[in-house]
Amino acid sequence: MTAHFQFLMILGAVILLLIIFVLLKKGKMTVKYSLLWLGLAVVLVIFAICPYVVYVLRDLLDVEMPVNLVFMLMFCFVLVVLISLSIAVSQLAEKCKRLAQENALLEKRVRELEKKP
Amino acid sequence: MNTPAKILVIIPCYNEEATIVDTVERLRATCPEVDFLVINDCSTDRSAELLERHHYPHLDLPVNLGIGGGVQCGYRYARANGYDVAVQMDGDGQHDPAYLSAVVEPVLAGRYDMCIGSRFITRQGFQTSFMRRVGIRFLSWLIHLLCGHRVQDVTSGFRATNARLTAYFADHYASDYPEPEAILSATLAGFRVGEAPVIMQERQGGVSSIRSFKSAYYMIKVSLSLIIDRLAIRKTKR
Repeated sequence: MTAHFQFLMILGAVILLLIIFVLLKKGKMTVKYSLLWLGLAVVLVIFAICPYVVYVLRDLLDVEMPVNLVFMLMFCFVLVVLISLSIAVSQLAEKCKRLAQENALLEKRVRELEKKP
Repeated sequence: MNTPAKILVIIPCYNEEATIVDTVERLRATCPEVDFLVINDCSTDRSAELLERHHYPHLDLPVNLGIGGGVQCGYRYARANGYDVAVQMDGDGQHDPAYLSAVVEPVLAGRYDMCIGSRFITRQGFQTSFMRRVGIRFLSWLIHLLCGHRVQDVTSGFRATNARLTAYFADHYASDYPEPEAILSATLAGFRVGEAPVIMQERQGGVSSIRSFKSAYYMIKVSLSLIIDRLAIRKTKR
């Protein structure tokens, strides 16, 4: 890995950390969902500061270019994030459905109670 | 049983202003002894206003949940209020209340846990288009393949369930393609599903919830959901 690429990785990690921090501070993201992203930022910093980790991984997985390994790992990471988001959305949809149904049932009871003298 | 069975007719209604009043009035005239509940699935037309003006018992869903979520809400109401039989009936005038007893009777008699009003037993009345019949045939075959039980009119939304299955549906009901999936999940969960002959009419207004039936896309999605259901639900004997 070139020094240039290491610098870019650190820069990317710092920007990512900043974005996550701002989102957390403004309350636009909950800590639960920020953990994965924070994890990515930490891994990027580790890779950039000691490329030795990447070289060892490269030898283990038999990938020719260390950079390709970094790209592949990041792609896998994005997949994990996307799947976890799909799970979260499905769970939210189910909860939302339950709430809407319960709301409709309660609304009917209230409506009928209000009609009684 | 000394007391007559408590029967609830669940009528899902999404933009049915043209037919809903007619449907309910026909139901009241034919079967005055049954309760009914219209589920207004966040209609964008005047359905809600009509329901309120005629003082029909109804639920107003705050957001559009689709046919599955709406009907499930009806099952929840039926469970909470201790109904013996819950009947699902479309709000578009396709289902004739005259056949209500035909669908309810096998459930009351204890022959089935769910009885589906089927167009294809006596083959009378509105038989839907050729392409739809091919699709229904295929789904029927697929459900037979997946659970070993043959139901002919798998997309019919005219169906009666007893209290036990109503309680099951109140907790587990597919939201995307509920009619075929409900048959499969009920059969796999060990409930007895059967059919009774009914005569249906062409819908008098509104749009079917299975609009995309013509396209192969719908068939692929339903088939996939059914196969996934088969893998996800463990077969139980009751």
